[in-house]
Amino acid sequence: MKHTDLVKAIALIVVIVLVFSAAMFGLNFYTGPLIEANNAGAVYGPLLAVMPEGASFDGDAQIYAADGSVPTTLVDVPATVTAIYKEANGMGYAVKTTATSQYSKEPMEITLGVDAEGKIIKVQIDAYNDTEAYDFRAKDPGYLDTYIGKDSALADVGLVAGTTFSSTAFKQGVSDGLSALIANGLIAEGVKGDDQLLTELIPSVFPGMADPTGNLKAEPIEVDGAVAAYKAVNGSGFAYIVPKGESMVMAITNAAGKCWVYDTEENDVTADNPDAVALATAHASANQEDFNAAAQEKFGRMMEGAANMIALELPRCNTVVAAASFDVNGEIYYGFYSKSYGYEDMDVYVIIDAAGAIAKVDAKTVIFEQEYFAYQNPSISSFDPNAYKAGLQGLGAIWSPEETAKVEISGATMTSNAMKQSLGDAFVVYAGAQLTEPEVSTNE
Amino acid sequence: MNKTNTGMKEAGILLPLGVGFVMASSNDLRAAIGMGVAVLLALFFSAVVISALRKVIPQAAHLPIYILIITGFVSLIQMVMEAHFPGVVNMLGVHLAALSVSAVPYRDAEHVSGHMGEGPSIKTAIGTGLLFTFVMAVCAVIREILGSGSIWGISIPFMQDFRISALSGVFGGYLVLAIVFAVMRKLSGKKETEKEDVAA
Repeated sequence: MKHTDLVKAIALIVVIVLVFSAAMFGLNFYTGPLIEANNAGAVYGPLLAVMPEGASFDGDAQIYAADGSVPTTLVDVPATVTAIYKEANGMGYAVKTTATSQYSKEPMEITLGVDAEGKIIKVQIDAYNDTEAYDFRAKDPGYLDTYIGKDSALADVGLVAGTTFSSTAFKQGVSDGLSALIANGLIAEGVKGDDQLLTELIPSVFPGMADPTGNLKAEPIEVDGAVAAYKAVNGSGFAYIVPKGESMVMAITNAAGKCWVYDTEENDVTADNPDAVALATAHASANQEDFNAAAQEKFGRMMEGAANMIALELPRCNTVVAAASFDVNGEIYYGFYSKSYGYEDMDVYVIIDAAGAIAKVDAKTVIFEQEYFAYQNPSISSFDPNAYKAGLQGLGAIWSPEETAKVEISGATMTSNAMKQSLGDAFVVYAGAQLTEPEVSTNE
Repeated sequence: MNKTNTGMKEAGILLPLGVGFVMASSNDLRAAIGMGVAVLLALFFSAVVISALRKVIPQAAHLPIYILIITGFVSLIQMVMEAHFPGVVNMLGVHLAALSVSAVPYRDAEHVSGHMGEGPSIKTAIGTGLLFTFVMAVCAVIREILGSGSIWGISIPFMQDFRISALSGVFGGYLVLAIVFAVMRKLSGKKETEKEDVAA
């Protein structure tokens, strides 16, 4: 390159750089504010969607970030909450939270608008990552609207039948968002009504009406004289919330018709509430399905030579819906029919000998959707249900880690938990049955 | 450069050079139109400036100066698009900025603007820009409807059960581009044959 060309090239490059730099500098006065507004809109757009008209968020809006990207004074924020923003004019808060269920590929992303009084303005799902078949928005398009206007008590906010896990996870995500605000004194805690407290008590006092993770598995029913009533999905009994003066109590009945009454503190107040007992037992006796005949027939088929079937009382409200004692060649056995909640509803039959060891277990289906599980865990495809059931023989009420491993099915957590629940509940009823030990037949 | 070179025949050379940004922006019609306008403007302004400066740019300094000019205009266009079409810029991602180093504007600069006056250079730039916009739009319509079951980002309910999601990906992009390319070559071939017949 000639010297003059070199000088010319350098000069040209410098001029071009200067001209474009000046052009960009000038253009930035025009585009800069617009780009900044666009970026703010991308961040605050989803937040404004859950806030009232006229709401705005300024540069200091974010008061919490789970990743620690903003300084915060907030404490005790649940791990599911990812960000909290304060509306600029004191209209309330926008909370970004997540929820995870058994069907989540990734956590659901939720944005929640809460007014200064702690009432939900709006809630929306930014990313739904559960299995599409369990999308509660499709099953109940109005479900998200049931949260509007509710405080942290979430009174009357139920779950969506058929998508219990996903809707429970979502409800928990919303509740976590509100808890973060309450824990830091930003909103007042909502007061739960007695009926709500009692409904939340059901999984604790009536485990048969809940799945192993504590989700209520009951359908609301109408019963005269009761503020609210529920029928267990598995038919294991009923729960009735009835008024008592200015408060309420809850009566529960199991599949054998036995009744207990609890107050909101979970105290057994059966003796003090004969009216509640009368209402519950009257309704239950007319509506409770009797599982004894089917259960006893099954026990007879499982244990050849079974005789002298005697139905047993059910001393608890768990998944056992029928129990019987019988003898085989002079040996006493106890049979229990448990309807627990696994991947789908389970029917588990457990026979325990007089020494307290499992003699036999049967279940209509141990693994549901075997192909589905096999897809996730190839070891399931080689699962042998008969060998599994045979392996449970000899187990007592308390299991060592090795025995626990026999009950668990790798890759089928929900079914494993349901089997554990059924076996555990059978032993609970067995312990009660031992108090009234039946006589051995002398017919032989 | 004669007119034929800016027409269908030229597509045979230009399309492979611009396959990167065509692929990147042809799975959504909005992105395709956005990229098409960006290509058109970048080529147009570059052609104006380079053809005006062609006599003062030393031969040995063509490459850095052309790249500086093209990059400058692409940066200015990107700033305006970020301000007014942030969604499209998000869809295009890094491919919009990478337009600066694409062989398409450089080829236009080297072969046309660097040797010819403003008139032919602008005509060529507009022709090339429109050609790319057209190809990207055609590919995007096919890929968005068949691959995503939507058009202009609006879901087509009927198509949701018949989506061929592979078309939204790289494989589908090349497949559709190859088909469009083949159709254009065929049409280009016919035109040439007709011209030859007339000349004969």
